[in-house]
Amino acid sequence: MQRGWIAPRLAAEFPELQLATLRAQCISVDSELGVSERLALLASRFNGRQAIALREAPIASAYRTFFRQIGIDPEQQRPPAEQAAVERLLSGGNPPQGRVADALLLALLETSVPVYGFDAELVTEPLGIDLSPSGSLLLADSERPLWHLFAPAGSDFFAVPKSRQVLLAAVGAPGVPGLALDEALWLAQSALSGS
Amino acid sequence: MAALLIDQEVGVAALDERAARRSLLLQVAGLERALSRNQSEAFPDQLQLTPLPSGAARLQDLERLELLRDALVGAVAESRAALIERQERRDSAQERLEELLLDPRSNRRVRITQRELGVGGCGVWSAVPRLGPMGRLMGWWRVKLSSGCPLAT
Repeated sequence: MQRGWIAPRLAAEFPELQLATLRAQCISVDSELGVSERLALLASRFNGRQAIALREAPIASAYRTFFRQIGIDPEQQRPPAEQAAVERLLSGGNPPQGRVADALLLALLETSVPVYGFDAELVTEPLGIDLSPSGSLLLADSERPLWHLFAPAGSDFFAVPKSRQVLLAAVGAPGVPGLALDEALWLAQSALSGS
Repeated sequence: MAALLIDQEVGVAALDERAARRSLLLQVAGLERALSRNQSEAFPDQLQLTPLPSGAARLQDLERLELLRDALVGAVAESRAALIERQERRDSAQERLEELLLDPRSNRRVRITQRELGVGGCGVWSAVPRLGPMGRLMGWWRVKLSSGCPLAT
């Protein structure tokens, strides 16, 4: 596991902002039965009241606060854990969507920490969070920006179902313990590699 | 000497701005938590508040942070006022329910929904005559909580 770099100006503003990465081997396109069952179990134990209470849970609340501080209205664009909760309520479950998506969703639902999967063959480590000249937050590798952080639109560098090597990146908002990021990454890696 | 004085001034201004940003970020965090609590308390109702500034993830300059802080102060006040108003409506509905229970006949045209009372479900409290037309003629009234129709509206 590696700790990602944070642009100095950003680190001065948010000293507790973190990025952690971990490589994982993706052994097949579809999730294992165990992962699908876990997602189904998580869906069955979740209701509307818990979805509302989620915003006040410590880790989910940290992302909500961070969103607000960087100019995103969390009511218009929900933080990842809350968005997953709403989608679960609307769809009635967590249907399988492929090994990579399921692994990332499992890590998010279990820890409330968003994990993103990049195609390891397309990016050059180490990853970090950079600032554009206009102040936009970017998730970048050592050569170029990969994705506007938390942008609803995806990235061309995200892993696809056929990706074999995935570079997992967990973004830790200020106030989120490093242990939560580690746990999220290990969960996602375990779901991807089947170990 | 003049250059040294200018450097010190610029240094002090930079420190002041950092301190101001830190303070504003803390204020924004506290206000966001307060707003979030109020929105949770409003469940299952949704508060209709003045939209707050929103955009893509970026480092906010001092002016934007101040605007955001001011907007959040307004939103928290707005949400608190909305919750107080809602509680007043619920209290009023509760009083009407008590009047209905005390004297169903005089309040036979009153209908109070569970939602107005702040209770879950879609039932409606109303006065109905006992034994149908006989009760209506004799002035025998009782209060009934209907189950409501989940498909209504």
